[in-house]
Amino acid sequence: MIRFILVQNRQGKSRLSKFYVPYDDDEKVRLKGEVHRLIAPRDQKYQSNFVEYRNYKVVYRRYAGLFFCVCVDANDNELAYLEAIHLFVEVLDAFFGNVCELDLVFNFYKVYAILDEVFLAGEIEETSKSAVLSRLDYLEKLD
Amino acid sequence: MNSNSASSMRGLTQYIADLRACRVRELEEKRINKEMAHIRQKFKEGQLDGYQKKKYLSKIVFTYILGYQVDIGHMEAVNLIASTKYSEKQIGYLAITLLMHENSEIVRLVVNSIKKDLDEMNEVNNCLALHAIANIGGKEMAEALAGDVHRLLISPTSKTFVKKKAALTLLRLYRKHPEVIPAEEWATRIIAIMDDENLGVALAVTSLIMTLAQDHADAYKGSYQKAVNRLNKIVIEDDYATEYVYYKVPIPWLQIKLLRLLQYYPPSEDSNIRTAIHNVLETIINNSQDAPKNVQHNNAQNAILFEAINLAIQLDTESTVVAKAAVLLGRFILSRETNVRYLGLDTMAHLAACADSLEPIKMHQDTIILSLRDKDISVRRRGLDLLYSMCDVTNAKVIVAELLKYLQVADYALREEMVLKIAILTEKFATEYPWYVDTILRLISSAGDHVGEEVWYRVVQIVTNNEDVQEYAATKVLEHLKSPSCHENMIKVGGYILGEFGHLIANEPGASPIEQFHALHSRSHLCSQPTRALLLSTYVKWLNLFPEIREQILYVLNRYRHVLDAELQQRACEYVALAEMPGDSLLQAVCDEMPPFAERSSLLLSRLHRKHGDTEDKRTWIIGGKEANKDREEARQASLSKGIANGGAMPIGDTMATLITSDRQPANFTVNANGASMLPTSSSQSDILSGLEGLDMNSAPSLTTPPGESSEILSAGRQPLIPRGSSPEVSPSIVATATPAAPLRLTPGAGKFFQRLCFVQEGILFEDGQLQIGLKTEYHGHMGRLALYFGNKISANFSSFTVSVKSLEPEALVVTTPRMATNTLGGMTQVQQVVHVECKDFFTKPPLLEVSYLAGSMQELALRLPVLLTKFVEPVQLGHSDFFERWKQIGGPPRETQKIFPFRLGQTGDIDVHRQRRLIGGARMQILEGVDPNPVNAVGAGVLHMSRGGKVGCLLRMEPNKEAKLSRLTVRTTNDLVSTEVLRILVSGLGSEQEKL
Repeated sequence: MIRFILVQNRQGKSRLSKFYVPYDDDEKVRLKGEVHRLIAPRDQKYQSNFVEYRNYKVVYRRYAGLFFCVCVDANDNELAYLEAIHLFVEVLDAFFGNVCELDLVFNFYKVYAILDEVFLAGEIEETSKSAVLSRLDYLEKLD
Repeated sequence: MNSNSASSMRGLTQYIADLRACRVRELEEKRINKEMAHIRQKFKEGQLDGYQKKKYLSKIVFTYILGYQVDIGHMEAVNLIASTKYSEKQIGYLAITLLMHENSEIVRLVVNSIKKDLDEMNEVNNCLALHAIANIGGKEMAEALAGDVHRLLISPTSKTFVKKKAALTLLRLYRKHPEVIPAEEWATRIIAIMDDENLGVALAVTSLIMTLAQDHADAYKGSYQKAVNRLNKIVIEDDYATEYVYYKVPIPWLQIKLLRLLQYYPPSEDSNIRTAIHNVLETIINNSQDAPKNVQHNNAQNAILFEAINLAIQLDTESTVVAKAAVLLGRFILSRETNVRYLGLDTMAHLAACADSLEPIKMHQDTIILSLRDKDISVRRRGLDLLYSMCDVTNAKVIVAELLKYLQVADYALREEMVLKIAILTEKFATEYPWYVDTILRLISSAGDHVGEEVWYRVVQIVTNNEDVQEYAATKVLEHLKSPSCHENMIKVGGYILGEFGHLIANEPGASPIEQFHALHSRSHLCSQPTRALLLSTYVKWLNLFPEIREQILYVLNRYRHVLDAELQQRACEYVALAEMPGDSLLQAVCDEMPPFAERSSLLLSRLHRKHGDTEDKRTWIIGGKEANKDREEARQASLSKGIANGGAMPIGDTMATLITSDRQPANFTVNANGASMLPTSSSQSDILSGLEGLDMNSAPSLTTPPGESSEILSAGRQPLIPRGSSPEVSPSIVATATPAAPLRLTPGAGKFFQRLCFVQEGILFEDGQLQIGLKTEYHGHMGRLALYFGNKISANFSSFTVSVKSLEPEALVVTTPRMATNTLGGMTQVQQVVHVECKDFFTKPPLLEVSYLAGSMQELALRLPVLLTKFVEPVQLGHSDFFERWKQIGGPPRETQKIFPFRLGQTGDIDVHRQRRLIGGARMQILEGVDPNPVNAVGAGVLHMSRGGKVGCLLRMEPNKEAKLSRLTVRTTNDLVSTEVLRILVSGLGSEQEKL
């Protein structure tokens, strides 16, 4: 299962963080820092998208200046989560229309709503892009 | 589809922009404090409308996300949840999920609002409420709301979005508070949802089942067949909704979950299921021969492929599919793509950990060793794991040498684990003592600080327990001590070994007592206090062994009497006192040679396994050799049969192999001490076996449980006697695994149908207002074919129509059920399902037919199928003399059984001879005419066919007495168990009510 999802920029500022297991606030800050220091210096070309972290592993992918990281159990299927990240990014991209970091900042509350449509309780919930987008469209039109 | 302006909040946007404009943190804090003060004021004034509350709450949430503590807004969030507007509700729920912990006081206030939203007919509100539970999910919520969540999951009126979210919410609640969820009771209903037409729902519910099945394997057994069916549909039949295709791959995430779920169960006994899985796996592997250009397509395809390979390995490492996969893996580890190399090595380590033959992997040994120099630490780790798993006696020297070489340059993060692994491999695959000692000492001297205490403790244990190695070890450790640089761990090992065994080499040049003493003592000033304490003990041992250096030692000990450290001072004082006592007897007694250690499991392995993380979904294998996984599997099976959760913790078995078996039991020690097992000879083989026997006892706790529990297990489902003539592979471990934990819950009202079908070939098996089940049977020797006819008696469809047949004694009675073509049974229609049975050996329990379907609500039936031992009897015609010759040959008890039982007279008041003969014929015995002179008596003969147990001749004689209304039945067969069973079956048909089966 997914322990947490982090979206951070190259400076290590978190643009989205979602924890599926309870951590206290201090621990969350520590996790964010550790993950950033673990991921940011890794080579894009010669290094894999997976790295061990504590007793888990982080599967991550970089999109422009943003790192999308999911921390999963050591025995989880890496590629499945790697593509889940991509699916999520595609949904964001379609929803905001060419998404950029600022969209995530200014529309943080929508990003959380989108996240809850794709991932829930530490598992992937819906993998059809069109199903998620039409749902979001429907919710957006509600008052 | 850009965000429209109506739903955005200008004040919020401005606030965010302001904060972004702050160049330094002080300005940001100032701006935030101002805003929070403003909001606090507004909240105090009250009279805020929904929009304002939403706006202010959004600002608070944003501030929180930036990492600031916020202490306002909780009550407003609770208010906002109750709003009728979606956008306001959403912000309210967001604030609550972010600002609140599961144990927060306010949760209590929220539970009621959430419950209200769950109960509403509005699916959007249902979903928001489910999000909140899934995100907060404390105990209080679990207790108050689990029932509602479950209701939303199974309700036929729930929309797909609600079902998906309810499934995952339930998963969250179960993970946190399993005791609140009646997982077994809900099993059939939840499994049925795997057939849902919506793939999103199927995915979510599969995630739920994966977790539930780990703890309640038996209750969720039905998910196995469903997973196979769904995979078959997606992979073979190309039957899926196109919106779920991800870069040309149909719903990869569901495929992966299903493939993983199958790995949680032992391979199916049913050959049809096995064939179906084989076809799926083969198709997946064949589809993966070419790498697509598109990254996403390639990743999705490989994600499935690697999971499929893992399943193939779990099913049978010798299969053709695995052979094909091994070739692919060989290609993968040479890939230019780092991800693929990483996964190739990882999966290969799985193969190495389970396979009988390591040859296909050893072919790639050079590539794998090279992976230790990969640019990515993640790949290097996988390479290390693989080398560890693929190591055996033949390549241990090469691999250990490479690992030692690599240790010098390895990442610091890797070193400790590497040291452990090298130490384990060295110990496990050593075939000669000098190699073991040289390697392990080199490890200690070169790895320095990364050598954990376990490693040097273990060396000391092994040297102490193996007499043959002691002299060599002492020589070598002394050499290391004399080298210019020497790590403190080496001094510890040296201190211990020379103290115990230094006398063995005292006559060698360069190893005289005084030289040994100098070698150690010259290093002591740089050592830590515990090491120095250890050295003091070494010295006092030498006092006993080497009187020639008494003076030097006493000098040192006396000086230590004045050091500041209390521990050292105390030791020194005591040792000096000991040395100065008149007579040596006490000193000798105190300094006697250490007895062998009686450690049961290797400290190293326990240390290594402690490093494996905790996971929600259990591991399907562990890094390491075959034995490690075998032990683990046994432990898992044992706990599986007991229905206990087995997260990832497993008892660690000792994986001693070729050389060092001694510390398990003193008995083994003497074998080693005699030098009989320097090489893996037959005697060391038997050592291993005796070791494994011990392991079995450890890893199958159900066998060593107190008598109360074990008898309960046996009575729960299995004949305790192993029948005569059965093959020897029926080992106790099978007894433990085959035990179905749940008591049988048979559907009432089916008993009379069953009773009748025990003596006839066809008829009705079950009938109620909705469903009729008919049965036709044919038997030939040990094989039988049952055709079941399911008739829907109402006009509505039955969906998720599931039929499964399970043998309660799978080793003796094998049941195979071809997959049903459909899982929908249309109104007023009939569907046929064929079941094949094979009698391999003696059995007493009829197989169980389980039927479930949705017709408005969930319907479940559990019926016994009338498959009895007598069904596998073929009638035999015998003449008068033949019969009596055999009758005498078999003789009396125990191969004869007899029973006198009451029976009912026919309607005419006479013995119903016709009925009785029909029943005996129904039990497949030939009625022999003219054998018994009394016409009311009946005599029969037949041969029972069992494919493994062989043939058993059966004879019987029945003598009814009209006056007493009692009948005497005598059965003689060549097997006492068969006699008892045939008698039991016949009496059930011939006797009165209470004898019913």
